[in-house]
Amino acid sequence: MAAPSLLRGGLRRLFAGLWGRGWASPPARALREVVEVTEGNTTTIEGKIIEDAAAPTPPNPSGQCPICRWNLKHKYDYVDVLLLSQFIRSDGGMLPRRTTGLCLEEHKKIAVCVQMAHRAGLLPNHRPRLPEGHTPKKPKLNRPGNTSEEKLRCPMICSCIRSHLGYLLKLFQDR
Amino acid sequence: MASYTKAAQQWATFARAWYLLDAKMQPPGKIAAATVIRLEGRHKPIYHALSDCGDHVVIINTRHIAFSGNKWEQKVYSSHTGYPGGFKQVTATQLHLKDPTAIVKLAVYRMLPKNLQRRTMMQRLHLFPEDVIPEDIEKNLLQEIPQPRAVPRRLDEYTPEEIAAFPRVWTP
Repeated sequence: MAAPSLLRGGLRRLFAGLWGRGWASPPARALREVVEVTEGNTTTIEGKIIEDAAAPTPPNPSGQCPICRWNLKHKYDYVDVLLLSQFIRSDGGMLPRRTTGLCLEEHKKIAVCVQMAHRAGLLPNHRPRLPEGHTPKKPKLNRPGNTSEEKLRCPMICSCIRSHLGYLLKLFQDR
Repeated sequence: MASYTKAAQQWATFARAWYLLDAKMQPPGKIAAATVIRLEGRHKPIYHALSDCGDHVVIINTRHIAFSGNKWEQKVYSSHTGYPGGFKQVTATQLHLKDPTAIVKLAVYRMLPKNLQRRTMMQRLHLFPEDVIPEDIEKNLLQEIPQPRAVPRRLDEYTPEEIAAFPRVWTP
């Protein structure tokens, strides 16, 4: 069932490119800034690509995903909010893998870390938008620790020590 | 050691000190462990169980303690009034809302040695829900005990310069 629909979608895209102005190149991926220019009767609203200053070269440019490129494979945790905040939307959800370019296992690890950071209250401005003036009914209590099931999926534990889980869960509770 | 008189050294060794501990964003079990050491006097080389060498500990911000995991909903504090049908069970949330110092007080009480000195040691423990302390206690304070848990920084606690200095790991 998947194969025919994929073929159909792919073929349609091929033909759309041909019917247009020849092979149109895909739109460049970048952050854009909305610019509105009014000249007399005409108002032009345009998304101008923001030219960033050249990003610093990562230490390992041959990596497949950003984490491998910057050599962060087992080096981050839920407290590294500066790293985690680059992969989340403004309402706290994760960005899709095809946008960020992460490999599957790192994407899952980052998702777990982001969930832990949310529960610890480290991302206070990335809350989902509530409808109208809905006030939270539950009393606000600090809960910075994380449930043991999240810790099991945490990258620092995933690395090589699954077999010694019981003793090490205690170690990580000391952090 | 050099210029103290014998009397001054004796006084400094056996005097009862007052310590301050900030419980903000700390787990109450670790807070209790740190205070019990000071209340018993185990942090002193002259410790003996019978020599009543414990110090005073003042714990502030007990309202802002932080349980890890789901303990706010799952931890149950039980008690019995002594009357039939008087078995009461309260969750940590309910107890904390009723009395913000109760959780730390119970944690310290249960961690102290179960002997007759426990009650005197509890009298030397002073709990305050916020950081407002009576003046006479504030004047006695000598030293602050370091917090047992390193509190992680929130995203809004980073300065914009630090955020800008952190490299973008991927480009959109």
